[in-house]
Amino acid sequence: MSTSQLALAVLLLPAAGAILLAGRGWRLPRIVTVIVGPGVVWASFAATLMLFFGQAKGDFTYWTWIKSGTFDVPFNLLVDNLSIFMCLVITGVGALIVTYSVGYMEHEDDPSYARFFTYMDVFIFSMLLLVLAGNFVFLIVGWALVGLSSYLLIGFWYQRRSAVLAARKAFVMNVIGDVGMILGAFVIFVTYHAVTYGAVFAQLKSGTFCPPPGQLTQCLHIVGGDSSSLELAAFLLLVGAVAKSAQLPLHTWLPDAMEGPTPVSALIHAATMVTAGVYLIGRMHPIYDIATYAHNTVAIVGAVTALFAATIAIVQTDIKRVLAYSTMSQIGYMFLAVGIGAYAAGFFHLLAHAFFKALLFMAAGNVIHAMHDEQDMRKFGGLFRQLPRTSWSFLIGSLALVGVIPLVGFFSKEQILGAAFSKPDDSLALAVWVVGVVTALITGFYTGRMWWMAFGGKPSPERPVAVPHEARLVMMVPVLILAALSVVGGFIQTRALGIGPSQVSDFLASAVGPVRWEENAGAIVIGLATMVLAALLFLAAYRWYVARTWTPWSSRLPWAQRLLERKYYFDEIYDAAFVRPMDGLADVGLRDIEKPVFDGAVVGTGRAAVAGASSLSLTQSGYFRNYVLVFVGGAVVAAVLLLIRASS
Amino acid sequence: MSTLEIGGSQLDAAWFLLLGGVLFAIGTVGVLVRRNPLVILISIELMLNAVNLTLIVFSRQLQNMEGQLFALMSMTVAAAEAVVGLAILVDIFHVRDVEDIDELSEMKG
Repeated sequence: MSTSQLALAVLLLPAAGAILLAGRGWRLPRIVTVIVGPGVVWASFAATLMLFFGQAKGDFTYWTWIKSGTFDVPFNLLVDNLSIFMCLVITGVGALIVTYSVGYMEHEDDPSYARFFTYMDVFIFSMLLLVLAGNFVFLIVGWALVGLSSYLLIGFWYQRRSAVLAARKAFVMNVIGDVGMILGAFVIFVTYHAVTYGAVFAQLKSGTFCPPPGQLTQCLHIVGGDSSSLELAAFLLLVGAVAKSAQLPLHTWLPDAMEGPTPVSALIHAATMVTAGVYLIGRMHPIYDIATYAHNTVAIVGAVTALFAATIAIVQTDIKRVLAYSTMSQIGYMFLAVGIGAYAAGFFHLLAHAFFKALLFMAAGNVIHAMHDEQDMRKFGGLFRQLPRTSWSFLIGSLALVGVIPLVGFFSKEQILGAAFSKPDDSLALAVWVVGVVTALITGFYTGRMWWMAFGGKPSPERPVAVPHEARLVMMVPVLILAALSVVGGFIQTRALGIGPSQVSDFLASAVGPVRWEENAGAIVIGLATMVLAALLFLAAYRWYVARTWTPWSSRLPWAQRLLERKYYFDEIYDAAFVRPMDGLADVGLRDIEKPVFDGAVVGTGRAAVAGASSLSLTQSGYFRNYVLVFVGGAVVAAVLLLIRASS
Repeated sequence: MSTLEIGGSQLDAAWFLLLGGVLFAIGTVGVLVRRNPLVILISIELMLNAVNLTLIVFSRQLQNMEGQLFALMSMTVAAAEAVVGLAILVDIFHVRDVEDIDELSEMKG
């Protein structure tokens, strides 16, 4: 099989699975759903591995989708090390999570069960299209399709009002991003007259670009760093990235998205879709390398979101919401990394985060399953002895999140911080480094709080299940695999310690460029110090939340606790600034325009017709003599008229 | 005013036309005021024959046979019309007795 066919197979296998399960697929025995749903993702993973080991590379055009004059949109897939890297994460982690769903969703009835796997396969297909697309048009198609599948899966339990509202919120926020993306692509097309990455980036590299022959425009020369149209395009693309990755200020949908089933949270809202923004910045790095203002904005947005989300996570009591804010925070790190130009570090953290956050979500799913759908951590407690395997996995995930050596989170996070610290002659990088370190410490604290509240201490008296059962094998094995990956995954790239392999950076060097500056020794020392402090805060949380020997910080700063519990009032501000004015406008439109004008016109037409008909129907008396009288009268009038004419 | 020769005597044509007009008026009033369906049909026949008379008078007066042809035509149509009208009435009588044509006002709008 040639590389181009293999790339197409990677993309189309999940689509085939979705088509098979869609519609009336549930009429088939449930075993078909169980095999097809995860099976196609595993098959896609196998095909991706073949691409990976075959060291595939290339830009394959399959057919022309639109051709109109100089406007030419091919359907092409770009296979390079970045897209293979993303495909490995999506299909690898995705296959584990879809397999886990086989157990997690088993209580659903057959139609819902098949519907769930249809949506999951649609999502995998959309995400693969997003990362494999070789032009802006199909990037947008994939971008919108992942938004759609996210909407469908958040609202999977559509009988629940809160789920439907959350799905709608996510969709609206994502559409804001989609509009930004599309406008960005327009700007790029208007400037470069091309939609494929290859054609656009080739013009960027040479520094000059010429419109295609036949257009009477002369070639222009770009001076690196002051191209205003590139800045505009980069900012517009950033809007899309920010909305998809739940960064400030378009982040409010992600915590609500936890209404979806837990495997959805693990797959879409932790491991893959929300990292699409990071992929986008990485894929567009030739643009961002020139558009420095937009590039710096990426770093600032990431740093601010990282800190902001971490502080909110401190006060959340719903275990999935803690993980959601933690996801926002960790994606903030990735934005920070790609924003300062440390692309490989950002993507390494993406990989690490996919491992340990999917692990945390699925382990939390096991806990929620065992607790009969209770998600409030205050009602857990003391699970450590009762659910040993889940607890150990969760602990590994938590420590990886905190960044404890030698787990994968340590190497990825410290590499980002180290890169920010040692970037030469860049005060912005230093500023975001400070924010990153503070966030790392807060991460240690909220993770410790989550761990101790849920698993430590004694069982809460409000706990719904006294003696919980460990999850089934099909739910346990993916968790254990991810736990193993979280332990050993860091050893493929130990640059954070200044020694050892750097597989990810080397692999991605051909796609996002080589590492641009080396870390200095100070960064390594500070990184280890940060790790120790974060781990100490993790342990200190025990004193606050289990032993309760220390006064809670919130009793000293009640206003801060209220501020955090209200999530900095973002929902309230958006409600007042956008939702309520819009509702008011809609009310005015309904009352003063819709009802009197449009309704009036439509209903009035009907009324006029009825009134006219009823007055005309008076002439239809049904009496023979009336008709004859009219007839005779008419004849008389006609005769009189004839006589008058004849006599004149 | 010209005269017509009828049975060896000369008669002013206006009298024939006046007769036609009077017959037509009687027929019209009959259609309008009578209630029995059969009488209405008879009144219609009267109107038709009034017209026939007028046609023949003009035909004789103008020495043109077309008027007579037209009268023959009109009689044929009248016969057909009587057949159709009677058939409808007979069908209605199968269902119920109709003494007053006003009873047949189901088509009231």
